[in-house]
Amino acid sequence: MKKREAMEEDKYLMRAVDIHLSFAGVMALQNVSIHVGQSEILAIIGPNGAGKTCLLNCLSGFYHPQKGEVFFRDQEITQLKPHKRAKLGIARTFQGVQLFPGLTVIDNLLTGRHMHMKTGAIQGFLYRPWTHREEMRERRKVEEIIDLLEIKHIRHRLVGSLSYGLRKRIDLGRALAMEPKVLLMDEPMAGMNLEEKEDIARFVIDIREAMDIPVVIVEHDMQVVMDIADRIYVLNWGHLIAEGNPEEIKGNPEVIKAYLGEERKI
Amino acid sequence: MNIPAEVERNWGDLPNIFDQGVETLPQLLIYQAKRFGDRTFHRKKDFGIWQQFSFSEVLENVKTLAMGLSALGVRRGETVAMIGENEPELFWGEYAVQGIGGKAVCLYPDFTAPQMAYLLNHSDSVAIICEDQEQVDKVLELGEKVPKIGTIIYWDDKGMWKYKHPKLMTFKQVQERGRKHLQENPDKFEKEVAAGKGDDIAVISYTSGTTGLPKGCLGTHKSFFDAALRIAGAMPLKPFTQHMSYISPAWATEQMLGLTMGLVIPLVVNFPEEPETVRENIREIGTEALTFTPRQWESLASIVESKMLDAGPIRRWFFRWGMAVGRKVNLAQLEGKNVPLGWRLLYPLADKLVLYPLRDNLGLQAVYYAQSGGSGMAPDVFRFFHAMGVKLRNVFGTTEMGLFTFHQGETYDLETVGKWMPVHPRFGPPLEYKISDEGELLVKGGSGFTGYYKESEATAKKLVDGYYATGDAVYMTDKNEMVYLDRLEDMRKLSTGHSYPPQFIENRLRFSPFIKEVMTLGDPEKPFVSAMINIDIGTVGPWAEERRIGYTTFTDLSQNPKVRELIQGEIEKVNYFLPEGSKVMRFINLPKELDPDEDELTRSRKLRRSFLEQKYAGFISAIYSGKEKFEAEVPVKYQDGRTGVLKTLVYVNNL
Repeated sequence: MKKREAMEEDKYLMRAVDIHLSFAGVMALQNVSIHVGQSEILAIIGPNGAGKTCLLNCLSGFYHPQKGEVFFRDQEITQLKPHKRAKLGIARTFQGVQLFPGLTVIDNLLTGRHMHMKTGAIQGFLYRPWTHREEMRERRKVEEIIDLLEIKHIRHRLVGSLSYGLRKRIDLGRALAMEPKVLLMDEPMAGMNLEEKEDIARFVIDIREAMDIPVVIVEHDMQVVMDIADRIYVLNWGHLIAEGNPEEIKGNPEVIKAYLGEERKI
Repeated sequence: MNIPAEVERNWGDLPNIFDQGVETLPQLLIYQAKRFGDRTFHRKKDFGIWQQFSFSEVLENVKTLAMGLSALGVRRGETVAMIGENEPELFWGEYAVQGIGGKAVCLYPDFTAPQMAYLLNHSDSVAIICEDQEQVDKVLELGEKVPKIGTIIYWDDKGMWKYKHPKLMTFKQVQERGRKHLQENPDKFEKEVAAGKGDDIAVISYTSGTTGLPKGCLGTHKSFFDAALRIAGAMPLKPFTQHMSYISPAWATEQMLGLTMGLVIPLVVNFPEEPETVRENIREIGTEALTFTPRQWESLASIVESKMLDAGPIRRWFFRWGMAVGRKVNLAQLEGKNVPLGWRLLYPLADKLVLYPLRDNLGLQAVYYAQSGGSGMAPDVFRFFHAMGVKLRNVFGTTEMGLFTFHQGETYDLETVGKWMPVHPRFGPPLEYKISDEGELLVKGGSGFTGYYKESEATAKKLVDGYYATGDAVYMTDKNEMVYLDRLEDMRKLSTGHSYPPQFIENRLRFSPFIKEVMTLGDPEKPFVSAMINIDIGTVGPWAEERRIGYTTFTDLSQNPKVRELIQGEIEKVNYFLPEGSKVMRFINLPKELDPDEDELTRSRKLRRSFLEQKYAGFISAIYSGKEKFEAEVPVKYQDGRTGVLKTLVYVNNL
């Protein structure tokens, strides 16, 4: 078993090994190890308070685990700050929407391009030809994302005036604007209606195919996840209780127990 | 044959094109590309920027695609189908198919797979050019149900990255094939195009099928040129007018406008980025020629109305005042009356403060050729746009015989559908008409009616003593303007013997911002007229919220006593214009929205009356048995194909 894992190691884009995370004595994650393949849709599911978001925060650098290591490719990044991880190509979306409501959709997406821009405020003010060229190039990238996410009709609207479902889509667009190597999504379907959920599911599949990157989804809603995920991890009370493809997970007694409670014998 | 000097003037030297041996659309494309080479012909917004295609570029694209299709085995006389939103590739596809002597058939992009299957099989299509994944998926789903389809071509590859199917090819791959084919046969395209004749079938236009299965109406190159010159004779059009191609070429009107007039005049044909962005796009390019269906003009008018309901009292006052001045001045001019000096002095101010900003906001500032295609739109809608300073005109005709009447000149009656259009002698004798005893319009002249594809019986039925029987009930005013009453089969007699025009009533009711769809009832077994109303939740919802009227669903809102009162008020306004006996006496607010996916409406959003009468039989009997309320059960179909039953208490309202 150990040997096979070692051989497959270079196949993994991201790994978290033996993560322990606690808050003032409350164990949020215990002994959790996961890996993310080169181009897969990976779902992390579990009941409320299972530690799904904590795990995602460890991957994206918002939390630093007390024990255990996080690797991106071969680099150890356990203590790296979130913005530095972003530079490596780790992008994430948020459970609540974290956008600039007073800016337009395009400007919000352009903030995602910030780390790819070379010219600063003063050059922007002077607006030399190279600044112009950069702006053209970045705008083009943003337009490609607008096309992918089908938000052409709202590109000049202020984000604050958009519906929740659309704002989530802009949030996703901004993460994509970074041209990430891996995309982490925190409950992308929370609070959405069925149609909006299906839209997001379709975009996740499109993103994987168009950009050829893995997508890690933390999700509470089993239904959609079962339809689109290649592989699933199940968390319960900070422990990893199952791993496998959707079929395996559906039939796993541990998972059924975690979600539905134990079957009582009378 | 006397052709009025004004018509001759409108035509100018346009007809000379046809002295150069041009008989088909692709021949005209080659001819115009020689004349105008680098001038912009097609424009499409892509990645946020308007991309231009000159005449030469369009020709090059058409040429390579045509040769690719030819290399794939598409032969003269065969049919190629097209499905997608209006985009340059759709137009190029059509010219390419016609270039190698094929017939083009365009399908509405929101067709379901079974609807597509019928048309693809009936038209004997050997290939289909699709816009995107959505359309390709439908064709692939049909699989062996459309056995004649040999190649599936698509131009937007989003989501298509991992598709593998032996019949699938991209637009560019076909063009690449064409380029190779051209290297071996350098002048094949020109030869193929030159072999085309004016009487060749260019397009099969399927009629929208309000009655029975859709019929494929054959359109020759000649008939499209005929149509283009009828318009050009009725109204002068500047070369390189900015045209917005929005209505689908599945409808013969856009075949005549964007595809034919686009080449003849020529126009700059602009394509909206997405259907959702069309209003923004119309404004961006400074559209000069715009054709909408009556429904689309109505919805534009009700957008303005409902936005004004949201505006503050001062703005609302200015809007009402400006429109009142506009109405006084513009409508008087339209009727050929003198405008009192006081109003004339106010007009520049009203224009500056209200009308110009309004036109500008809607993108109608530069529009000089605004047109509503169809038979019936409430004159109120026309007046609304005229008051604003947009000279909206109606064009009326049939898919089979081309265009008949048009609001011509500077003065015309908005209650009518206009005067008869001229026909250029090159394309046939002038239009002649007579009105049968039942009131049906019969027409002959122009390039005539070619027939329905594979339906010679249905074709023969439509011809009476050399006249084409339109099935429309009309009458002519003493000023030679035509008034459209209704479809002949839809003029209804009541049991009292009184005839009433249902569509007339419906169109006027639909102008209410609160009513989305309406169907009138009343036939020889029924003593009075009644109506089933589909409220517009987009406007009734905010109206209710403003008045603190709580509601949960569409069903709940539709049966709310206050809402029923609101709709009653709207009907009373229309009843005021109707003679005794035609007034609406009772009505029901439908507890669900009418939906084309449930076959309640056609794709062009016309009511499917007989189907509705069956489906809502319980409602109808409640109205005429004098019930005040009843427990209704309506079968509903969900988006994913499941079915269910909506059970609810429905009220019948009296007027």
